[in-house]
Amino acid sequence: MHMADALLSPAVAATMYAASGVAAGISIHKLQKDDEPQKLPVMAVTAALVFAGQMINYTIPGTGSSGHMCGGMLLSALLGPQAGFLSMIVILTIQCLFFADGGLMALGANIWNMAFYGCFVGYYLIWRPIMQSRWFGDGKSAQRARIAAASIIGCVVSLQLGAFSVVLETSLSGITELPFGAFVALMQPIHLAIGLVEGLITAAVLLFVYESRPELLQCLDHTEGEGGRRSLRAVVAILAVVALVVGGGLSLLASSNPDGLEWALFGNAEQGYAENMGLDEENFGLSGKAADTAAAIQEKTAFLPDYAFADSDTPAGTTVSGIAGSAIVAGVALLICFAGGFFRKKKKT
Amino acid sequence: MIEFQHVSFAYEKDRPVLRDLSFRIEKGEAVGLIGANGAGKSSVMKLLLGLLQGEGKILVDGVEVRKDTLAEIRRKLGFVLQNSDNQMFMPTVYEDMMFAPLNYMLTREEAEARVDAVLARLHLEHLKHRYNHKISGGEKRMAAIATVLAMEPEAVLMDEPTSALDPYNRRIVINTIRELDQTRIITSHDLDMILDTCDRVILLSEGRIVADGKASVLLRDRELLERNRMELPLSIMGRPE
Amino acid sequence: MNKMQKAITELAEMDELAAQSSPVHSLHPAVKLIAAVAYILVTLSFDKYDLGGLVPMVLWPVLLFQFSDIDVRTCFYKLRIVLPLVMAVGLFNPFFDKTVLLRLGNLPVTGGFLSMLTLMLKGVFCLMASFLLMATTPIDNLCAALRQLHVPKMLVTLLLLTYRYVGVMTDELAVMTDAYHLRAPGQKGIHISAWGSFLGQLLLRSMDRAQELYSSMLLRGYHQHFHYADIKPFRKRDAVTIALCIGCFLVLRSVRIAEVLGRIVVR
Repeated sequence: MHMADALLSPAVAATMYAASGVAAGISIHKLQKDDEPQKLPVMAVTAALVFAGQMINYTIPGTGSSGHMCGGMLLSALLGPQAGFLSMIVILTIQCLFFADGGLMALGANIWNMAFYGCFVGYYLIWRPIMQSRWFGDGKSAQRARIAAASIIGCVVSLQLGAFSVVLETSLSGITELPFGAFVALMQPIHLAIGLVEGLITAAVLLFVYESRPELLQCLDHTEGEGGRRSLRAVVAILAVVALVVGGGLSLLASSNPDGLEWALFGNAEQGYAENMGLDEENFGLSGKAADTAAAIQEKTAFLPDYAFADSDTPAGTTVSGIAGSAIVAGVALLICFAGGFFRKKKKT
Repeated sequence: MIEFQHVSFAYEKDRPVLRDLSFRIEKGEAVGLIGANGAGKSSVMKLLLGLLQGEGKILVDGVEVRKDTLAEIRRKLGFVLQNSDNQMFMPTVYEDMMFAPLNYMLTREEAEARVDAVLARLHLEHLKHRYNHKISGGEKRMAAIATVLAMEPEAVLMDEPTSALDPYNRRIVINTIRELDQTRIITSHDLDMILDTCDRVILLSEGRIVADGKASVLLRDRELLERNRMELPLSIMGRPE
Repeated sequence: MNKMQKAITELAEMDELAAQSSPVHSLHPAVKLIAAVAYILVTLSFDKYDLGGLVPMVLWPVLLFQFSDIDVRTCFYKLRIVLPLVMAVGLFNPFFDKTVLLRLGNLPVTGGFLSMLTLMLKGVFCLMASFLLMATTPIDNLCAALRQLHVPKMLVTLLLLTYRYVGVMTDELAVMTDAYHLRAPGQKGIHISAWGSFLGQLLLRSMDRAQELYSSMLLRGYHQHFHYADIKPFRKRDAVTIALCIGCFLVLRSVRIAEVLGRIVVR
């Protein structure tokens, strides 16, 4: 789900930077107030662990394909939302700087999409209410069930929100001609699958931690007596979030662009999209080769004649002479490359 | 310089790790702290450094190790961890060596001069700007020692300084330890190294001191060592036929 | 080599590039950071059809590659992550935007096609800019620059510490992965029965590691403040360099070099 710089307009990129910056500022403030100096090394080591952990292939039983983990939910369950958020920021920054995964300007958006929802929404609206509730009753097995439920719901919801934000940001940037509704219809179902798998992985890891060192998990000790009320609140909060995501997504989809929905229903391009966008350059089991996809898209577009979405009053800005000039510039650039390479070799010999 | 007076420690009640430990280490002494796994060696180190709190009194230069004296105590003690990766938390060797001097309010120039001096003394100048994750295990261990020496401690504590090193790097570490003039406390299972570097040995077993004396004497006592789950150093045992 | 070992290699390569010396390497890291951000912003600000305006932006990274003595090809490997993503979005454009914006001879060029090309070029240019920044700036210098730019200390310190342990943890997981697969031949990934314990084991060990690391910090006089050794003072000269860079971008943005050149050959 890492967005690239090219998918954002400067305004959207800056807005997302500002939003993530504010969230980071508040988190830092909170952590400084808590004043737990030993937390910094814990955050660093856990962040490094999650960074590495994202590269593990988890075999999904019965499919022959593998899933991955993103880690926002895991980090906030272990470190708390603020520390988890900062750790995610650092992970995303390292990925962006050293691995070109995401871009320098897209970092703000990526932090928002992948860290904010997982850490804050995932924690405050899902993890904490569920852990403090009396869902599944009392005792250890109920606690286990709560951990699993919170992990899975948390991951699904935060990925849905993240995917929706990707669509929103890309569309607001005016990058894609893909109708908003179709884009949403493309992204949400794929990320539902990803979220489920990520949720299961997160649940497995957290359950393991619970068995061996339960004190490492946040919010595990729930206060007696308040159970009933909290439980109700938990349910309401979760239902609200789910309704927001599903309802919001669907209604936008349906109202804004019925054609888009139709397109998405007819179009089977999700597969190719999943392969490319998603799933963080690792095939997610939704098979299909790029070539097939391209062919599929062509086939589908034939169903939809004369789709003209481009706002025709946008200045083209490009003329034949512009293109010829571009070719010259490209030539000059190449020349510089070769000339440089040439001199470099000479210097060395 | 370092004194333990009736020190006891337990992580959990009824399972004491150290029982009524008393010993005294003079300035400039090199002491090997040996014993089987779980004998309590690392607890001794951690208590001394104030990372754990036990019963009894621990004195460093006459100052008791307490919460309010920790800063003063720790400034005098340098601790080389067994795992250098945990010790070296900055990206480069240089940054890591600068960490302690800068924390002790030295100016950048003073700190840098100190770092350069330590590097020159250990012949590690080539490591200065290297990345910690890209140097070899032997270099990393030496860099970790350099990091600690840059603090200019009065005593150096080392936890298994020669573990997982090849013979060549092990020898370099041993020579480095021998050349130090600070008080040294070294825990290790590498008794040959202890014999090479320490004048005195304290043998721990189940949280008690079972022997305390000259390294050259204690490390020749086959019966004593074997009773405490150890073996004679190879250099004393000689080549097995 | 498994994926984690590859990641470590990639990290090591970047470190090696950053450790070289060249005129670009010796620039103040804050200058390079600000210039990279400005370049990306200017690049992104081109209209989606403005291919002619965008193309001359290539001159900047190309020049930097030359001055920093880094082979352009080294960054192509990194494109494998960015390009598919950008293309996935861009590929739809030709099918939805079929307005013919211009004709090259008899060949009609649609808006969708143009916007797809623009999008891809933007992707490549932005990547080059970030790549050049990191290939010429060691992480500790960058962190020092971030501090000078008033990025909160906690975040910068965390970045520095995490960067250090990314190598350590990735290495450990790489070994664990190999060990797993040696005992589970034919499995593509981690079996569901080990989903929790595989990472969980390492996680528990990491907590102890963090504790030891914290001890190591404490024992060396750490008290809430991290000091950075390698802070270069920000001089007037550096401010001038930034101004020059941004000036260059603005010229590239406003003067339509491609068209000017084009008019020479096309009447």
